[in-house]
Amino acid sequence: MAFACIHVPDFLVQSVARAEPALRNGALVLISGTPPLWTVVAANAAAFQAGIQLGMTKSQAEEFPGVEIRQRSEAQEKATHAALLDVGWSVSPRVEDTAPDTIVVDLEGLTSLFGADEKIAQELAQRASRMGVIPRVGVASNIEVAIHAARGFPGITMIPAGEECERLGGLPVHVIATETEVLETLERWGVDTLRALAALPVLQLSDRLGQEGVRLHKLAQGAFQRSLILALPNLHFEEEMELEDSVEELEPLSFLLGRLLDQLCARLEARALAVRAVHIRFDLEPSFEPFSENGAQALTNGFREKSAAKQYVKVLTLPVPMRDSKMLLKLLRLQLQADSPAAPIQKIVLGADAAPPRVAQNGLFVPCAPDPENLELTVARLAKLVGDSNVGAPELLDTHRSENFRVRKFSASKERTRNRQKGETRFGRETRRGTHRSLAGFRTIRPAVAVTVEVREERPVRVCLQGMHGDVVVASGPWRSSGDWWQEDAWNQDEWDLTVDFGVSHGQREHPVNSWPQYGVYRVYYDALRRSWFVRGFYD
Amino acid sequence: MYTELHARSAFSFLEGASAPEELANVCAERGMAAMAMLDRDGVYGAPRFYQAAKKIRMQAHIGAEVTSAFGWRYALLVESREGYQNLCRAITRMKLRARKGEGHIEAEELVEMSAGLVCLTGGEEGPLADALEKGGMARGVECVWQLCELFGRENVYVELQRHYCREEEARNQAAVEIARKLSLPLLATNGVCHALPHERELLDVFTCIRNHRNLATAGRLLSRNPERHLKSPAEMEHLFADLPEAIANTQSLSARLQFTLRDLGYAFPKYPVPGGGTQMGFLRQRTHEGMIARYGSGNEKARLQIDRELALIEKLNLPGYFLIVWDIVRFCREQNILVQGRGSAANSAVCYALRITAVDPVGMGLLFERFLSEERGEWPDIDLDLPSGDQRERAIQYVYERYGKLGAAMTANVITYRGRSAAREIGKALSFDPETLGRLASLVSAWEYKDATDTLERHFHDAGFDLKHPKIHKFFELCVQVQDLPRHLGQHSGGLVVCQGQLDSVVPLEPATMPGRVVVQWDKEDCADMGIVKVDLLGLGMMAVLEDSLKIIREQYEEEVDLGHLPADDPVVYETLRKADTVGMFQIESRAQMACLPRLRPKCFYDIVVQVAIIRPGPIVGKMVHPYLKRRQGREPAECLHPSLEPVLARTLGVPLFQEQLLRMAMIAAGFTGGQAEELRRAFGFKRSERLMKDVEVKLRDGMNRNGITGETQDTIVKSITSFALYGFPESHAASFALIAYASAYLKCHYLAAFTAAMLNNQPMGFYHPATLVKDAQRHGLRVRPIDVTHSDWLCTLEKNGETFAMRLGLRYVKGLREEAGREIVRQREARAFRSIDDLKLCVPALQKSELTALAEIGALNFVGHKAGFHRRDALWQIERVSRRAGPLLEVCEEAEGAENVSGASHSPLQPMTAEDRLVADFRNTGMTVGPHPLSYHRQQLRREGILSAADLQHLSDGVEVRVAGSVIARQRPGTAKGFVFLSLEDETGISNAIITPQLFQRDHVVIVHQQFLLIEGRLQNQDNVISVKAERIRPLFVTRAETTSHDFH
Repeated sequence: MAFACIHVPDFLVQSVARAEPALRNGALVLISGTPPLWTVVAANAAAFQAGIQLGMTKSQAEEFPGVEIRQRSEAQEKATHAALLDVGWSVSPRVEDTAPDTIVVDLEGLTSLFGADEKIAQELAQRASRMGVIPRVGVASNIEVAIHAARGFPGITMIPAGEECERLGGLPVHVIATETEVLETLERWGVDTLRALAALPVLQLSDRLGQEGVRLHKLAQGAFQRSLILALPNLHFEEEMELEDSVEELEPLSFLLGRLLDQLCARLEARALAVRAVHIRFDLEPSFEPFSENGAQALTNGFREKSAAKQYVKVLTLPVPMRDSKMLLKLLRLQLQADSPAAPIQKIVLGADAAPPRVAQNGLFVPCAPDPENLELTVARLAKLVGDSNVGAPELLDTHRSENFRVRKFSASKERTRNRQKGETRFGRETRRGTHRSLAGFRTIRPAVAVTVEVREERPVRVCLQGMHGDVVVASGPWRSSGDWWQEDAWNQDEWDLTVDFGVSHGQREHPVNSWPQYGVYRVYYDALRRSWFVRGFYD
Repeated sequence: MYTELHARSAFSFLEGASAPEELANVCAERGMAAMAMLDRDGVYGAPRFYQAAKKIRMQAHIGAEVTSAFGWRYALLVESREGYQNLCRAITRMKLRARKGEGHIEAEELVEMSAGLVCLTGGEEGPLADALEKGGMARGVECVWQLCELFGRENVYVELQRHYCREEEARNQAAVEIARKLSLPLLATNGVCHALPHERELLDVFTCIRNHRNLATAGRLLSRNPERHLKSPAEMEHLFADLPEAIANTQSLSARLQFTLRDLGYAFPKYPVPGGGTQMGFLRQRTHEGMIARYGSGNEKARLQIDRELALIEKLNLPGYFLIVWDIVRFCREQNILVQGRGSAANSAVCYALRITAVDPVGMGLLFERFLSEERGEWPDIDLDLPSGDQRERAIQYVYERYGKLGAAMTANVITYRGRSAAREIGKALSFDPETLGRLASLVSAWEYKDATDTLERHFHDAGFDLKHPKIHKFFELCVQVQDLPRHLGQHSGGLVVCQGQLDSVVPLEPATMPGRVVVQWDKEDCADMGIVKVDLLGLGMMAVLEDSLKIIREQYEEEVDLGHLPADDPVVYETLRKADTVGMFQIESRAQMACLPRLRPKCFYDIVVQVAIIRPGPIVGKMVHPYLKRRQGREPAECLHPSLEPVLARTLGVPLFQEQLLRMAMIAAGFTGGQAEELRRAFGFKRSERLMKDVEVKLRDGMNRNGITGETQDTIVKSITSFALYGFPESHAASFALIAYASAYLKCHYLAAFTAAMLNNQPMGFYHPATLVKDAQRHGLRVRPIDVTHSDWLCTLEKNGETFAMRLGLRYVKGLREEAGREIVRQREARAFRSIDDLKLCVPALQKSELTALAEIGALNFVGHKAGFHRRDALWQIERVSRRAGPLLEVCEEAEGAENVSGASHSPLQPMTAEDRLVADFRNTGMTVGPHPLSYHRQQLRREGILSAADLQHLSDGVEVRVAGSVIARQRPGTAKGFVFLSLEDETGISNAIITPQLFQRDHVVIVHQQFLLIEGRLQNQDNVISVKAERIRPLFVTRAETTSHDFH
């Protein structure tokens, strides 16, 4: 019985170099952080030799000639890790996902397929190389020994049974111990190699370091036995279907989607899970342009979509986990009706993020609320009518900027909670103090409409709004506000409440296009940054 | 004409964004002849506002926004002195009963303290806004009516502010209605929070800091617009065109406010003379007694001087001041607290006779007028040096007890935003992550020398910030803006002000963070400007060292050393000074002082006075050091700058070294009057005196031209005088310091063990780290014993070593060992010796594992239980078990093992530490080693590579190429050295010095700053036995993993 460990040293760097193999030959630095504050988080040996140090800023790293700088890519790390697992699974189903940079493969029964253990190790190394990484491989009859050999020695290391202690002896203790406190204790003791650690009396070590001491002692001796922890599939389920003939219309597509959803739901049911989100990906026929810009704008709380050439991607996030494939199909249909793919579909990929199903029984005293699934359906129907970004509950933002609000996803349960906490919110004080208690209603025009205003002695006297000309009867203002000066979208506005007479006093009787009052109080503002006037709305 | 009567400065701490001076200047620019500053709960900025206004002939009205019990604030303006006193008392009362930074006043309390105050109804923080919001018009009327009852109808103004805000205007309309209804005057103000519109951004940042938010999350806490700046009368008149009376009333109210800070009403307390005599009579009596004791009865010169001084003291009515200082000194002597007056007081024979100072001004021919002059018309300034720590605190508490809580207080210390703090706080507001801010803060240079590129801009670049990025640029702008604005109020280290009667009616008092301390709202410069007398009770580390040394000598050597009667010309001391062997000696231990001593070759006390004064920025930049040294060595004639200056400069060989000499030069050469000389003296002392010095220079040149002193001589004299703007010592001050320097040298030369122990027990202080002090003492033959829990006390102690003494390092040097745990170890050990490490843990259960580990790692547990061959790792092995107690089930087994340990049978399976391991452990846990110097382990190898030791350099001649290595103990880049860097390297034989050019520093900056062991190649400079290496190449040396430390960036 033998195990092989594949370890990718300098995992972060190798993950990036995998996508750009040319980078392997020179000094490479990875940076991470919030732009523009990048710092060096990893580098290869050539970069360190050039003088690069971890924690340097991007601009400091840029001062080193010949050093290539790339961003750390978690996606590429994930892909490299998946590739590493694929390497393992390509030879055996018994694979342990030890760490992002390390996997262990059970070599039991592989001899007849690949030959001796050494051959298998070479095969694994070659396959990993083909995946774009330079691995280290350790083979031993003990899982931990294989891992330590891969982490401690370059290339391929074969450790025959019985030689573990001897072979691992020269490795530094940090190969097996990761806890800082333990490492510090060992350092104080002068125990710097596995050999020195293995030589300590185990009982006394147990007195001092507890069971962790015993474990480390066995690890140092190469005698720690454990079972392989098989890599388990994650909670993301995926079903896909390549179509012989492209599908263009909703009905046949719905039929196919229904089948896939049935399969997904059946799999989820078998594991007592439900769908939390459905990922839809359609590969589209290449002869068509990618889907429209309107679709790209439809970023909402419930639906996130990502535009990619020749692909239609959507994520349908559900308010509660559900497993009713018919309900899911209805929601998908509404989504597709609201925003159809721009080209015939060649491939369908349906993914499902799983979660435990919701508890059906509410508390005895919890007031009745709409069934969440039906509510979601209603909201989806509304979204189909008015667009994703226009459905939900408005939420005022804490800012002096006028009319600043966002539409957040409507949730009955959250609304109830918010109502209960009314008066305790952080805006409570401002609401009391800052809001002008006006008895008049105010009708907001969104977006604000450009208007021409004639100003005399710093006061508006005449207004021209979409072809209507009117005199200012009373001007109240300016009410000045500015802010977000530290951002690029700063604002600076002078607001006026203008009583405008569009024609009454001039005998004009033509009906305004927008049914705006011919004689009324308008809220007009001058945007000092855009140097233009706009109408924000009018008082009812 | 409009007058701004409601403005906040940055002294409203995070509620205002402009300095008082800026407000005053902008106000004057806008054409206003007066302005009122109302800071929150204080008059912190009032003196600065008053001084700034005085300069531009503007009237500075004083007031404050005082927090009420309901959270809103009374906006109060001071009309008369009585009003000012009431305001100060009210603020003091609310402050003293609350925690620091908090407090409020009750309306009932204001009833008795409302006279002389004018109340405005306030802006959005005021009572009317609060009432209107809570109860509408009816409550608004009631509120204003209550204010009228409290302050009187004639003293209430209904305030209107217009910042282009709807809610505010609604409030204004209500306010106008109320004013009409109650027949009260309207008053327009702008509720100013910053002088200029763009400073609104800084105000927003302050709002974030105050509310612990950042700009992204502060929302409507931020200002709505930038309208709270100082507006011109025209703008305000335009804004209130519909209510002209609101503008007109600002003028009439301003005319009513007659009070200014000139009219403070401060009086120094009278000394309670026993038996009912006069203060002057009592002072004469005490002085006469002192004169006899100091000078004997036949010193006519001294008597004449003292009589002259007493006459002036009487004329200026200052006997009370002298008696109060004398009283403090007397208390200290009675309590065996070492005390010595310094500063200009050392010019006074009366102070000498009263034992306030220890320098004989008659013997040294010091100028009394420098201390006290009729012409200057200001209070004398006496600084008292006390041992830092508890002793000084006792003296301070004595003053509090004697003059009452409201009669004495510490002066404040206004902490301002500087490079690091500014970057950190503004960065937080702009949502920069802490790591980045930490990096920036660490990059803000602490070097004294700032080269042309050493700008905030450069620091940003070094921290990896691209100033082209808008957000970074904004960050940078704000950092620049916020520099030097007040951040919070601290407590000055020693300035005490006392007052006849109630100090709280002169300036508001506040509780300090330190229990039992009260501080005034002004810093010491402000107090001085306002004519308030202060006595500085300064804590001086070396005074504590001297006091502790004397105590140790008394107890261990059984000898009594009287610092007042040390041998005046001790040859060992002077020989040591001439060799520059001065590590640990007060004021003469720095590298620069050491480089000067072999050239100056001190032979008498006055030479030490010169030595103390000469290595200061003033003489250095004025290029006075080298001429003086050359003249002493006879290498150039002692010519005077001008024959007329001969009497002034003769004693310093024609070179001006002391402040007094510069003043006299100005008086003689440029015909300066006493007043002008005083202006010059202030320019010397003023923090940013560049502009002042420029003015002075013009006057100097005019004066010298009139006196016929022109050309090069004139330039040299001007250069000498103006360079003193960079700080130089008065002679009397240097003399006071020289006395302490001599005493420290004497003790080090004759009682090395006691002096070293005292030095180590009073760290941090001085120029060097404890590690350097220990190595220096060892090189001088002191045996230093390591920390050992079976012998060490908390402090370093002396142990008999045959006929001499060895010094035992104290437990205080174990990093991470808490004092209470350390002292408990000593207490338990005195009761019974520890039998084992288990026993130690049982006796001192409070000992934590980390503390035991540190003790074990440095070998402090090696001798517990007296086991032969027991080493540090044996102890480390044991403490791991001791700290991990078994449960009840296995306790029996453990006890058996413990017993085994006691018998000494059990060691550990661990290898003993190597020398390198021990070095690493020693430095990690104590910051030093008492074993061999790290370099000594490598000496043979270093010799093979041609690397010399510090001692080897002594025997080489000037100009030879050398290689020297050592651990860096000090890095300096003095402001006076034009970018040169000086390194002190230590090895087992001593200290060597290296000089690094700015170019080399620029090139090898990282190595020089970050590496602890350096190999330096360069050319030896040996000038008059001052040895240094002019570095040409520098590289790191890897000799140990031990993390040694250095004292950097002086």
